[in-house]
Amino acid sequence: MASEGELRELEQLCNGAREFTEFDRNYILLPQLQLPDGCTPAVVDALLCLSARDSYPTRLFYSQQIACKNALNWNAQNVPILQRNWFAYSWNYVASGRPIEVLAQHLKALR
Amino acid sequence: MNGRFSRQSFLGANSEFLFRSVRAAIVGLGGGGSHIAQHSAHVGIGRFALFDPDTTEFPNLNRTVGATFEDAISKTPKVIVAERMIKGINPYAEVWPMQLEWQKDFESLRACDVVFGCLDGFSRRAQLEESCRRAMIPLIDIGMDVHKGEPYSISGQVVVSMPEKPCFKCLGFIRDKDLDDEGRRYGEAGGNPQVVWSNGVLASTAVGIFIQLLAPWCPISPGSAFLGYDGDRFTLEHDARFAVGVNHNCEHFGSIGDLGDPFWKP
Amino acid sequence: MNIHFKLSSAMLNHVIGDLVRPHPFAAERAGFIGCKVSRSREGILILGHTYMTLQDNWYTDDQRYGCFFNADAMRAAMQFALTNDASMFHVHMHEHMGLPWFSRIDLRESSKFVPDFWNVRPNLPHGTLVVSKDSAAGLCWYPSENKPNRISRITAVGFPMKFLERLT
Repeated sequence: MASEGELRELEQLCNGAREFTEFDRNYILLPQLQLPDGCTPAVVDALLCLSARDSYPTRLFYSQQIACKNALNWNAQNVPILQRNWFAYSWNYVASGRPIEVLAQHLKALR
Repeated sequence: MNGRFSRQSFLGANSEFLFRSVRAAIVGLGGGGSHIAQHSAHVGIGRFALFDPDTTEFPNLNRTVGATFEDAISKTPKVIVAERMIKGINPYAEVWPMQLEWQKDFESLRACDVVFGCLDGFSRRAQLEESCRRAMIPLIDIGMDVHKGEPYSISGQVVVSMPEKPCFKCLGFIRDKDLDDEGRRYGEAGGNPQVVWSNGVLASTAVGIFIQLLAPWCPISPGSAFLGYDGDRFTLEHDARFAVGVNHNCEHFGSIGDLGDPFWKP
Repeated sequence: MNIHFKLSSAMLNHVIGDLVRPHPFAAERAGFIGCKVSRSREGILILGHTYMTLQDNWYTDDQRYGCFFNADAMRAAMQFALTNDASMFHVHMHEHMGLPWFSRIDLRESSKFVPDFWNVRPNLPHGTLVVSKDSAAGLCWYPSENKPNRISRITAVGFPMKFLERLT
């Protein structure tokens, strides 16, 4: 579970970060997350999974696929989590830790 | 209705009305799901929600009940094939044919009294189970495999996931290792060998379990079930893993937060 | 509005087992079910998760009512709703076979206390159920509506499935 301070750190990038637990996995909802320059769309809802799933120690899901200058392997499509569908590219080996740092590591794929 | 259900009157005086009023979701209308659609219609299930994004192709004809040569030429959506078959048996059936993945229409799934899961892959099964648990819907899952080797071997299973009873993980049907392995293989688990006769056994059994759920004709009530199919010896019996899981309270779907829609608004 | 209330067979058995217990002075017992909500193609799903027994000393000895619970009971139920972001459904029992219905006093009192749950969870529906030995009925107060809706379906999910109420 993220601390209040850790959730507040995420407010730099989005308003209203909120934690959920679903079936023993911890997620942080990041509504209207500001993405790095060059991404389309520039702002999306995102879901940071801080628990291991599908062979990834952590994973960042988006409410839609993102176009950016890098070719990404969107190997998770329409994954139902919290009764919404999410998309994720393959970006592995980001260990769980302070949420803002985990998020930053995942966003590197878009830069 | 002209005595059409007279041969199953042992299921109870109210069974005809009961079956007519329940809604069954069939997720995946291929080899397993098409059988389920047919058998459910025959037994009198009156309402259906069908989910499958795919169209009929020639390789499907070896096992998709109701699909014709013309369907493969025309690439008829599988849900339309199933709808046509259901209504040919029961013209009064209410059918929602949805040519999409089930997760693109949560609300239609939640309107169902049972879900028959006929998907490939452990991840997809786990995801469907999670949504069924959220809406407190029993899930009856079927699947078969042909294992390559010297010689080949056919196997399969019927697994029931009931709210508050052992889930797929409790029963050992889905393990984290299986999900991780699929994750590493990057998802797509389709294209495996499939044959009509094995699917028929599994699908018939699934429908029988559902009917027992609605109108039990005997006092046997497993609560959950894990039946293993040996397609080489033609047996279907309780998998040894079921004996381990059956007395467990589910450890994976217990919290109040695992029910309902986390983002629900009035 | 189409409202479908679901609970597990195990919970229904637990609820009935609790409600049939004799009380030192109350003629009837009551409890609360903490629920979660979602939307289906046909309306609203209300999903019972936690049954909250009313402790013996949460009842008020008032001969005008078969069952009258005090402020402690209401406080506990409100706390559960707040902590768990839950819809709360009051439940009591009429010990007969067949479809039950609320007495005039049940209707009058529930229309007072059920909307009080909006003080803690204003965006959720709350309500009341009455169960019999083989059936059930319910009323649901939906946010921003003054009058309750009759619950269209009540299902106990288990082996066998029990369709306790089915209006649609």
